[in-house]
Amino acid sequence: MIAPVQTPRRAFAIGAPILQLDSISLRFGGVQALTNVSFNVLEHEVRAIIGPNGAGKSSMLNVINGVYVPQEGAISFGGEQLKGMTPTRAAHLGIARTFQNIALFRGMSVLDNIMAGRTLRSRASFLEVALQLPRARREETENREAAEEIIEFLEIEHIRKTPVARLPYGLQKRVELGRALAAEPKVLLLDEPMAGMNIEEKQDMCRFILDVNDHYGTTVVLIEHDMGVVMDLSDRVVVLDYGKKIGDGTPDEVRSNQRVIDAYLGVAH
Amino acid sequence: MLDLLFFIEVLVGGLLAGIMYSLVALGFVLIYKASGVFNFAQGAMVFFAVLSFVGFMELGLPFWAALPVTVGLMVLVGMATERFVLRPLVNQNENTLLMATIGLAFVIEGTAQAAWGVEVRRLDLGVRDEPIGWLMDEVGILISQLDIAAGVVAGIMVAALALLFSRTKVGRGLRAVADDHAAALSIGIPLKHIWMLVWATAGIVALVAGMLWGARSGVQFALIGVALKALPVLIIGGFTSVPGVIVAGLIVGAIEKTTEVYIGPYFGGGIEGWSPYMLAVLFLMYRAEGLFGEKIIRRV
Amino acid sequence: MACDTVDTFPQLLLRHAKERGGRPAIREKRRGIWHTLTWRDLADEAEALACALSARGVQRGARVAVLGDNRPRLYTAICAAHWLGAIVVPLYQDAAAAELTLPLQSAEVTHVFAENQEQVDKLLEILPLCPSVRCIVYDKDRGMRHYQQPQLVSYAAFLAQGHALKGSRSDVLRAEAGRAAGQDAAFLFFTSGTTGEAKGVVATHAALIDRARVAAEIDGLTDVDVTIAYLPPGWIGQNVCGYVQPMVVGHCVCCPESSETLIADMREIGPTCFLATPRVLEALLTQVSMRLDDAGDFNRALYRRSIAVAQRVGARILARGAVSMLDRLAYLAYDLLIYGPLRDVLGLSKVRVAYAAGDALAPDLLMFFRSLGINLKQLYGSTETGFFVAMPRDGRVKPDTVGQAAEGVELKFTAEREILVRSPGLFAAYHRDAERTAEAKSADGWFNTGDIGYVDEDGHLRIVDRAVHVGALSDGTPYAPKVLENKLKFVPYIKEAVAFGHGRDMVCMLIDIDAAAVSRWADKRGITYTGHADLASRDEVYELIAGCIATVNRELALDPVLARCQLRRFSILHKELSADDGLLTRTGKLRRGAIAERYGELVDAMYAGHSDSAGVDGSPRRKIRDAQTVAPAGSRRAA
Repeated sequence: MIAPVQTPRRAFAIGAPILQLDSISLRFGGVQALTNVSFNVLEHEVRAIIGPNGAGKSSMLNVINGVYVPQEGAISFGGEQLKGMTPTRAAHLGIARTFQNIALFRGMSVLDNIMAGRTLRSRASFLEVALQLPRARREETENREAAEEIIEFLEIEHIRKTPVARLPYGLQKRVELGRALAAEPKVLLLDEPMAGMNIEEKQDMCRFILDVNDHYGTTVVLIEHDMGVVMDLSDRVVVLDYGKKIGDGTPDEVRSNQRVIDAYLGVAH
Repeated sequence: MLDLLFFIEVLVGGLLAGIMYSLVALGFVLIYKASGVFNFAQGAMVFFAVLSFVGFMELGLPFWAALPVTVGLMVLVGMATERFVLRPLVNQNENTLLMATIGLAFVIEGTAQAAWGVEVRRLDLGVRDEPIGWLMDEVGILISQLDIAAGVVAGIMVAALALLFSRTKVGRGLRAVADDHAAALSIGIPLKHIWMLVWATAGIVALVAGMLWGARSGVQFALIGVALKALPVLIIGGFTSVPGVIVAGLIVGAIEKTTEVYIGPYFGGGIEGWSPYMLAVLFLMYRAEGLFGEKIIRRV
Repeated sequence: MACDTVDTFPQLLLRHAKERGGRPAIREKRRGIWHTLTWRDLADEAEALACALSARGVQRGARVAVLGDNRPRLYTAICAAHWLGAIVVPLYQDAAAAELTLPLQSAEVTHVFAENQEQVDKLLEILPLCPSVRCIVYDKDRGMRHYQQPQLVSYAAFLAQGHALKGSRSDVLRAEAGRAAGQDAAFLFFTSGTTGEAKGVVATHAALIDRARVAAEIDGLTDVDVTIAYLPPGWIGQNVCGYVQPMVVGHCVCCPESSETLIADMREIGPTCFLATPRVLEALLTQVSMRLDDAGDFNRALYRRSIAVAQRVGARILARGAVSMLDRLAYLAYDLLIYGPLRDVLGLSKVRVAYAAGDALAPDLLMFFRSLGINLKQLYGSTETGFFVAMPRDGRVKPDTVGQAAEGVELKFTAEREILVRSPGLFAAYHRDAERTAEAKSADGWFNTGDIGYVDEDGHLRIVDRAVHVGALSDGTPYAPKVLENKLKFVPYIKEAVAFGHGRDMVCMLIDIDAAAVSRWADKRGITYTGHADLASRDEVYELIAGCIATVNRELALDPVLARCQLRRFSILHKELSADDGLLTRTGKLRRGAIAERYGELVDAMYAGHSDSAGVDGSPRRKIRDAQTVAPAGSRRAA
């Protein structure tokens, strides 16, 4: 369905594990969202988390991002054991994300949204900004340049000044990706980046994700519903079902895993 | 000719008062934008700020020392409010937050009066509330020096804040927080800093507004009522729009003074007090989002 | 200027670098900022590129292709190739890989400048079929990191190589630039042709430069003019406007950031000279109409009144004709309120002269722009004729003509009214096709244009249509599809219209709706639809289009000849006509043969009187509707 991608050689070779999740269990009251899930993410790879609805995919992403704190298990990032992950902490570590139901700053322009994504890349204090001291002005220029690079990369020059609330869905998704990229993250978490898109928009998004991975070497962790997309896009896939890991491996391995077929592939969705 | 001059006089007087309304309303907008709270205590903060300023001067501090001290105090009050009132209530619904600010208003009022007493004081900023001489002689228009000075100060303040919040990273952070908390956190915008910043700024705005109004009508409990004037401004301008409240402040000021002079006599005067509210009601009926407020658009 | 003897591009480039070295030659908006390349910069970069090209074996007469959008580097590449006496083969950037094979093969292109990964991918795909291609220089390196093909080199590396070589080769290169002669071939254009087969048209330096000089003189172009490059670089028109004309006059050409930002970029840069195809102008009109639909009642009423005034007097004011004081005042007032802001919204506020070329422009559309105070003119010319054959002069623009023959052009007509042209701007030959060259061009230099036309009483050339399209209905009524189609295309809801009628008893139409305009119309009325095909088959939309056609029919009824060509039946296409399907040329002209073939069944059903036709490849049935016609003015009186 999505045109096969010819990658003769990767610009950034897949490296050591950058993110390690050990025996993660997460409960909401009596509901067991994740049970003893372990997997790792290697540097520069595209890693997918798939599973039927309610399998705990989004919960998994929210655990990585620090929105939810798991009752059991450990997360390490870049070899360092992390305790008490919070979204702010994740952002500082270089983990950026997008949301399933687009969470853009709707009243702001595309450019401002992407510039906002640069928050952690600037050092100037409030006073420096308020008084427009040299450092604040220099940073503003640098941030604008970085934002423009992303705008060019994502081919959204024509909407740079448009308030995001006025954009169609597909473009909003792209802007959200842009905002996440603006932080120059090491790891990019994408929560159903292609949900609700038409085929053309999906192809565009696929291309952008691969380009991001290829051009910036960003490690990508994505949740996706659409099997075709996942298989073409990812280097390795984790399959969750009812909060448990039932498969892990290359797209081909996963495709031929009987448990996965029973739980997911066999079920029409 | 005379009529026209008189009209200009009334209009300018109205616009100058209007820019001061804008300033007060700006305090509301800042907090509303950043945290979605209608800060009922804004009026109390105005009162508290200027009362403290006068109080410090009475304690013997000169003007230029009292000013930074009061600014510091207001920053502390703002930050404390964020830390001890709003942060514990994070993720509560709007009504809860509103009730909290109402409570806060009483606490601040009480503290102010307990600390500095209840009698009316005069605040002398060194500018007299008298018409400008040459303007009166040459053109024949009566415009108060104090009004002009207050208008200029308020104008500068409003312009500086508007620029800060529309053109800089701080402003972007503020608007981002206002739009989507979760997203703002995910890109590392320090929510707590932004809130503190906003409350501190609102404190400073309250001080400036209090000083300007206080110089005009005396430093007294009635200053709290200034905040009520901000309400029609907010409705007309939109609760979330900085340029909106600036324009709306000017409109309210102009309408209030001109209607008072030209239409007032038919009603036996005193319509100044309610004409802005009439306008606000009209806005609520026909353009509920205000002049530049965000239209609530839902895309399918 | 007229006696200027410099007639090659490299010499012109060197002259500009000397005479106006610090003035802008090319501007480009990149990452939100305009960057300027001065004439000196351009000459420097072209020289370095030429060094690198020559080091890689490009010699006089070699063929160098350019494939990409309008970017400064595309133009520097053309400069460099011309510098070495190579022949430039401009390709259409949106052509599919298979379409590129023929030009690359037949021209035996050795070096290609490609814009980006997308273009490189297409080239690599057909590389086995085009063994002559030795070197591909790509501009944007995004996604190119892991390409290992030995033919590939990045523009930046290529340029650096050239700069390194420049010191040692400078003299050789200057000599090379001096060796060029006007009669050398400069470009090899592959015209897509409405009939299908692509032909390579060889144009010399002298021919193009001569025509551009004549045009510059007629419209008084100088080096402070500014133009914008946004049309397909594979088309001669874009090369004339973006390369030949600036080279002749020394003015600046601007490259917009992307095709989507064109209008915003135009508003920033304020082009004074603007070339458009009818398709672009139609799109602009549609935009105006859509904006208007969103405006309030008051604004709409104001706009209508203003347009009425504009249509009554605007064109006359532009032509400096006699207009009453009152009208003049009204026009002035509306200019402040409506026309001025409208010109600004379209990015045309500084335009001194605008040209429509590439296809016939509907007179209504021409007049619409002229009445707004935009000096739009219809040009006549083709790839073979060096673009400028006839052009209207300021103050003497007639909407349904293409103006007088340009200086140096001789016109002649055959008995069938086919236009023959002799001009210094004529092409040299069809590439490696002596037979076709001889067919099209006589020994004494007359070129058969294939267009039917005549010269009217004022000496203006009037074009009827392509000779192969002009025909007659079965009752003998003369029939030219273009006139009918252009009337319909003036309607904002209609993007393309294809008329059928030659040898038939009535005129039927295939309609391609303007998706943006119609979907907005539908949204306003709360009509729900799932996509283009669904929208195009809605009864409401059929009614909308039927209404538009009825209006056009009323207009046609006023003309004694056209009255009998009123549109009787029509059907709306489910899918847009597109160049990718081979139904349009890359410049947006209809390929009637291909369309008739693709939709043959539907057309037959229209003539057979059916009310629908089964779709091809399982697509839904297409509806066919009758249009309301009006009795011709004459017969009505009789009745």
